[in-house]
Amino acid sequence: MTKGGEYRTAVKPIWCSGCGNFGTLTALTKRVLPGLGLPRHQTLIVSGIGCSSRMPAYVDTYGFNSIHGRAVPIAQGAKLARPELTVIVVGGDGDFFSIGAGHLPHVVRRNVDITCIMVNNFIYALTKGQISPTTPNVRRGEGAFLSHEYYPPVNPLLDMVSYSASTRASFIAQGIATDVTHLESLIQQGIEHKGFSFIAVLTPCVTYNPQWLFEIIREEAFYLRDAEPVSLPDSSAERPWLHDPSDISLAFKLAQFPLLEKPLLGVFFRGKTEAANQFEDME
Amino acid sequence: MRASITLGIVGAGGHGIVAMGSLLQRIAASQGYFSRMPRYYTAQIRGGGSAVRLNLDARRLSLPGDVLDLLVCFSWEKYLEFETELTLGADTVVVYEGEPPAWVVLPDNSFKIGFSRISQDETGSDRNMNLVALGLLSRMLSLDRERMGQVIEEDTALQLLKDNIFALDDGANIFPQLSFPDMALEPARDESPKAVIHGNNAMARAALRAGCRAYFGYPITPSAEVMQDMLEGLFYEKGVFVQAEDEIAAVAMAIGASFVGVKSLTATSGPGFDLMTESIGLASAAEIPLVVIDVQRCGPSTGIPSKSEQADLDHAIYGGHGDAPRVVLAPYDIDGCYRLVVEGFNIAEGFQTPVILLSDQWLGQTFVAMDNSFFNSDYNVVERKKPGTDDADGYLRYRMTEDFISPMAAAGDKGFTYRTTGLTHNQRGVPAFDYETHQSLHEKRWKKLAPLRKRNDLARVFGKGKSKKGLITWGSSAPFVLEAVEELGLKSELKVCVPELLHPLPDRVVKFVQSLDSLLVVEMNYSGQLHRHLRAQADLPQDTRAYCRVGGRPFSRTELADVIREVAG
Repeated sequence: MTKGGEYRTAVKPIWCSGCGNFGTLTALTKRVLPGLGLPRHQTLIVSGIGCSSRMPAYVDTYGFNSIHGRAVPIAQGAKLARPELTVIVVGGDGDFFSIGAGHLPHVVRRNVDITCIMVNNFIYALTKGQISPTTPNVRRGEGAFLSHEYYPPVNPLLDMVSYSASTRASFIAQGIATDVTHLESLIQQGIEHKGFSFIAVLTPCVTYNPQWLFEIIREEAFYLRDAEPVSLPDSSAERPWLHDPSDISLAFKLAQFPLLEKPLLGVFFRGKTEAANQFEDME
Repeated sequence: MRASITLGIVGAGGHGIVAMGSLLQRIAASQGYFSRMPRYYTAQIRGGGSAVRLNLDARRLSLPGDVLDLLVCFSWEKYLEFETELTLGADTVVVYEGEPPAWVVLPDNSFKIGFSRISQDETGSDRNMNLVALGLLSRMLSLDRERMGQVIEEDTALQLLKDNIFALDDGANIFPQLSFPDMALEPARDESPKAVIHGNNAMARAALRAGCRAYFGYPITPSAEVMQDMLEGLFYEKGVFVQAEDEIAAVAMAIGASFVGVKSLTATSGPGFDLMTESIGLASAAEIPLVVIDVQRCGPSTGIPSKSEQADLDHAIYGGHGDAPRVVLAPYDIDGCYRLVVEGFNIAEGFQTPVILLSDQWLGQTFVAMDNSFFNSDYNVVERKKPGTDDADGYLRYRMTEDFISPMAAAGDKGFTYRTTGLTHNQRGVPAFDYETHQSLHEKRWKKLAPLRKRNDLARVFGKGKSKKGLITWGSSAPFVLEAVEELGLKSELKVCVPELLHPLPDRVVKFVQSLDSLLVVEMNYSGQLHRHLRAQADLPQDTRAYCRVGGRPFSRTELADVIREVAG
């Protein structure tokens, strides 16, 4: 096994001290890449624009910090052209769910074997705090996000997990940047999954998130475990069931839980995998 | 006997107009005739109008005449939609179905023929009226019936005829007492069969020849045939083909595939090309080889999707923010479509830059019967510079070299991991924010392209070197200009320059304009985009004129004759 440090470049991250992105970076460089024994030259990390998209510069594999919203198609082109590569995409909620949202149902449809790590920090941080499609609408007095008083976010927010479930992504998981051990296991499963993997990472932005946001998330977070009962939010009329990530109908139910009421962590769905190279399939 | 003929066929969608034109073109090509067949259609898929104009030539690959020698009309209502493409003269022979409206002035030699009735009687369906008419045409043109029979047997594309050969023979026997001696074509000078191709087809084949193994595209008129031909080609090559969700994804995928070392292509037309602009800037900034084909159509916005124009030059050269250098090539004929796509890949790989090929609807979709030996010529194929043992110790992806081109590793190459980015970056590829790095990176990206100015082979010059009067034109306008100069007998007075490399502009073009007292620039766009580009690149003669007008209709001989005579003085 390679030592974790060998996957870090000498480049110093631009992130604020305490930024949740360090959790994902640590999970990747100290645990997942060495743990899977992925050779650096056989690994490609593609990103778009945003705080989390600076990630490739800090990981000593092949990397591509591209343009806003287009990491997913760039990664698909690379993976289809060189299927032997392990291709990981890193991006934020603005990158993947606003400007680049149009690409997601199509990568799911093609089920290209890439692993997308969607860093959800609920805000446009690099441009200094504008609302993103995942920004929750908050009431005054609760530490409003920048400019919410004049330009409130639109509820319901776009939920990454429910979106992925609705398009039937073949692997759907959600982790939290503050629990690196759990996150690392999700990313590892995503990379090992043959097919398109989507992993949302709830990531605190220490500068622009109100204090209460991650307090709620951490308080209410529930870890999904195979064959164990699922904890329902108070508003749910469902009866509890045993978690089974192979059942898409259960994943649909889970995806409907309001994020801030019951943040679920773990593997929501793990579907069947299919090869992606169309020309080889025909023979 | 005549050496060439221009004929038109028009009807409703479903009358089999293009099929009939294609069959006639193939039959004639098999007997050695050169031909060009532009297609005209309205946006409606079924029930709209459809027309072709076909000029057959026994001696050389010529352009259609302004006025038709022969018209086959299945619907006068549809004829109206294409009146400007299918101009009748006093000597035009017209064979038609149905009663013409009172206001249509028919030429003397016009014959009403019940094509659909004959088809109904003989084949049980009026759907074969195009074959009946084809039979009549083959007799009028004196195409060899015996050889036609052989070709129909052998060519799978002519299966339709094989099954309905009696309809063809019925057509050939219409009005046996009538003869059309003026219509008969002399035998082809060289009877070896000609291949029927179009520019879109030639470009796709060239991409495969250049080693392209990945295609990403989104359907758009008039470039869709490139995508179709790449699909077939890559299927056999076991390459990668993706119909992307939009042009932004298509070009991004092409960049991703190229980044990992696979030559990649995307083809589109104006609106799709707009969407690719940001990514072309990325390929320029991160120095990733990329080839983009833009089969131009009338713009702006949706414009006229099915008709030709040359109005994307500004966008190809200058499109996008920042100073993002790229290379722009424009073929003007079919073999140029092939040669320049191979060249485009070579430049993209050799210089690690985006290359934009400007074709257009006329070049891309006009079916041409010609000698296709250029498919089998020798072409140099260039591969990108890879890092060697020198680079093993601390690989610098953007190392400043003598020629400003740095060795480029591909993901998968051991020992050379690096990170690329559209951010300003240092030699290692690490984002940088200082003026000095920014300035030197621009110098690197711009100066590496300077040797292309010496590519004088990519600027064609026709005519006498000493002449002080000249024309510059580009793309599909060039054959019209060259033919007009020749027909006017002005070849010794006027020289013509056709740059195939438009950016960076070869020195030869600058020298050409410097040798002139009078210059005429001819192009098919409203604002004179090449004219303005030339003004930015060279001091043009005081007596410089531009003949530029929108697309939607090819240049006619008469319109060009007027402007060319003027500059010839």
